Amino acid sequence: MSEIREFADLFDAILKEKNAEKYSYTLVKSEKQELNAESGEFKLMRTVFSNYTSLKLFRGTRMGNVSGTDLSEEGLRKLADDGIVAAESAEEDPCNDFGPDQGKDVFRQGVWEPDIDRFLERVKELLTTIKTDYPKINVMMAIASFDRHNWISRNTNGTEFEAFTGSYGLALEISASDGEKNTGISGTGFDFKDLDTPLIDCCNVRDTLEKTQNSLNPQTLTGKFEGPVIMTPGCAAQFLSMLAGNYMGSGVIMEGTSLWLDKVGEQVCSPMLTVSLNSFDERIIVGERGTQDGFRTEDVTLIDKGVLKAHMLSLYAAKKTGRPMLPNTSFNVVVEPGDKSLSELIASVDKGLLMGDFSGGYPGTNGEFSGVAKNSFLIENGKVGPAVMETMVNGNLGEIFKTIRGISKELLCDGGMVMPYIAFDGIVISGK
Amino acid sequence: MIQDVLGSKCALFSDGVQTILRGQENRMRRVVFLKGNLVQNVRSEERGVSARVNRNGMFGFASVAEYTPEAAEKVIRAATDNALFLGRHSTDRIVLPPSCGTGTIPLTGQINDAEQKRIIDLCRRIDDHIAEKYPDLSSRVVVYTEDSMDKIIYTSDAFNGHAVYPRAHMMIQMSTETADGTPVEMMDVLGGYGGFEDHFTEPEKLFPVIDKIYERLMDKKEGVYADAGYKTVVLGGMMGGMLAHEAVGHTVEADLVRGGSVAGPNLGKQVASELVTMVDFAHTYNGAMAPLPVYIDDEGTKAEDAMLIRDGILVGYMNDRESAAEYGMKAAGNSRGWAFSDEPLIRMRNTCILPGRNTLEELISSVDDGYYLIQSGNGQADLTGEFMFGVTCGYEIKNGKLGRALLDTTVTGVAFDMLKTVDMVSSEVQWSTSGTCGKKQAMAVSMGGPLMRCKIMIGGR
Repeated sequence: MSEIREFADLFDAILKEKNAEKYSYTLVKSEKQELNAESGEFKLMRTVFSNYTSLKLFRGTRMGNVSGTDLSEEGLRKLADDGIVAAESAEEDPCNDFGPDQGKDVFRQGVWEPDIDRFLERVKELLTTIKTDYPKINVMMAIASFDRHNWISRNTNGTEFEAFTGSYGLALEISASDGEKNTGISGTGFDFKDLDTPLIDCCNVRDTLEKTQNSLNPQTLTGKFEGPVIMTPGCAAQFLSMLAGNYMGSGVIMEGTSLWLDKVGEQVCSPMLTVSLNSFDERIIVGERGTQDGFRTEDVTLIDKGVLKAHMLSLYAAKKTGRPMLPNTSFNVVVEPGDKSLSELIASVDKGLLMGDFSGGYPGTNGEFSGVAKNSFLIENGKVGPAVMETMVNGNLGEIFKTIRGISKELLCDGGMVMPYIAFDGIVISGK
Repeated sequence: MIQDVLGSKCALFSDGVQTILRGQENRMRRVVFLKGNLVQNVRSEERGVSARVNRNGMFGFASVAEYTPEAAEKVIRAATDNALFLGRHSTDRIVLPPSCGTGTIPLTGQINDAEQKRIIDLCRRIDDHIAEKYPDLSSRVVVYTEDSMDKIIYTSDAFNGHAVYPRAHMMIQMSTETADGTPVEMMDVLGGYGGFEDHFTEPEKLFPVIDKIYERLMDKKEGVYADAGYKTVVLGGMMGGMLAHEAVGHTVEADLVRGGSVAGPNLGKQVASELVTMVDFAHTYNGAMAPLPVYIDDEGTKAEDAMLIRDGILVGYMNDRESAAEYGMKAAGNSRGWAFSDEPLIRMRNTCILPGRNTLEELISSVDDGYYLIQSGNGQADLTGEFMFGVTCGYEIKNGKLGRALLDTTVTGVAFDMLKTVDMVSSEVQWSTSGTCGKKQAMAVSMGGPLMRCKIMIGGR
């Protein structure tokens, strides 16, 4: 029996003793080993032993949500008491609920026993390779971590899920400098489960280093034009996340402010676009297995060839609005690849941008966005040219996803999502 | 609040290494009403202890989610092991210099806990008031958030202390639709340092702010897109604070200077108009308590103000003890961690551009064709000082008078270029107290600024 089960049994006994008839909770024990390098040199080794407890407790249809870090008997008793007080303070709402009995299951994903010495050697090798191959790059921060979690989730309908998960992760924050010339910050991050491949060859590390080193002589654009924008997978994911929040999420559907409120089953995007939440995809290192509402996670298609298949509704939002709940509360996004290579997409652009990051205000519910193109390059006559600075892009989220001009065959897998490059029309690019 | 159970464990600090032992509790209370529905009713408490050990310039850090003397022993041992482990794989770094002093900073404040029912009742009252008075809204959101940090700090060679950082805020957002059915929103945030009792015991005192949000929303409903380009603008105080924090503040954090920020080669140079002076205040502004008072940081440095720009000249950075030694500056208490499990990083506190001599009326009347930008939704900046702020509330200025409201837009520029265009500064400072900065970890920050006339790039359609 795992240690976490002993805590769970104790917690059940405490909740029963306090006459809690309806509740769900998650208990987590986790461990992080994290190596931090600054300016290309090791600086700090960090070990974190964490606990996390989260309890949803009901009094009739009133619900309180409390959380903490104390797994001692005293801590669990206090959490139960706090949950009762929070629930009794709440208002009656029959939409507060969690899923029916989903049975019992144990999930194992990723790697449980890390090889920290080898991991450290891989990071050292990465830092050395960067110094050799990319001499103008300054690794401002490299955070290499191994994270391991054992969690158990139970509710009074009978569901019990337990999980053992572990993964390595790397986050790089870099800039380039040459004399007094400096670039801005760029970076990448990804999760992985083995140390077989040098880190420099993982995910988009080399691409990020090359693009950053090529950004030392940025050009300030003048004037304004509407041109195609090819977004890198990371940038496209950023826009997809905004699209989900503004058009498909529980909040905007409950508020009634989503422009896709009554669009399920309708064509809302280009037929080229298919978006799913595929937590069971083998490219996802640690995918969701149980939703936040106590259901078994399922792979779901959100947009199929441009047709909206579902809103991303929690159980509460689903009950509140009389619409179907989505049995996936992750953002394990998988976007289907297109039929053109990145070089073909670039070759088709007379004048536009290859955009690495968007730095902009979060769009309002009308979808209007406006911001700065960061880590971005001018495309002219089908070729990638100089980096750009002080370049703004604006458009409308809903509209640009209707006018996709191409999706790349190449996919970026960062361990949490799978994304291609996406080329959009209808974005206004303006310089100084 | 947490009681001191750590003091006796200072005996475990090793000679010849610098050690910090920190016990901490973070509390959060959150209640959200969305269109009259209570959608979040949350209380959380996270407590634990951490140790950071510096040995020959290598840092070892460890934390445990327990707040006991035994946990303190465990983290001191683990942090020491981590520093030794790293030392075996790397060459030595800067050895931290002697601290700027030792002593004890007494308890700096109190954290008072409001009953959840009172918070829910308050939010319900506010929501009911909005629903009754303004039934034409398409949606409304009322969010109450209380976040507090309570830290007990013991160090081997610096100050010990007990620091608390309580904050309570309410965010109110209203939505409506324009004539063509396009949704628009307006929001504002109330509250500040302290707890429920300090800000929210009399709901009717919040009603004028609610009226103002509605008034601005109705203006925005008839709003227009900004005319994109390089424009003369009057930045409101909140925008000035955002500029101070995002566009300038981050570039003068010494760890980002080390990473190649634009502040590196500009130390001692003119980076702004002579009207611009900028300070990261520790705990006191203008003779009164600053919105987020910091008396001791998480390295045990007694907090002082950090002068950053004086009369347009870049004069200093924000440092931790290591970077202060590297740049020949004095650490002023900027090293803070968000949770017990977070190592301290260089963070801002109360970052502010100081006031000038003009009035709002003088600023507005001086602009023939430009914009008055009042409120920002979010902001980001880069090492180069290139910044972006979302603008969620603003107005045209035509012939010295306010005109039509603006729909959401964005402004951008390069901080040290843009600050040189500042030619009028108002005599009043507005503070934004609800900020949470992201830099590996979250961190509570406050930012302030006067109104400023300057030139800036504004996005349109």
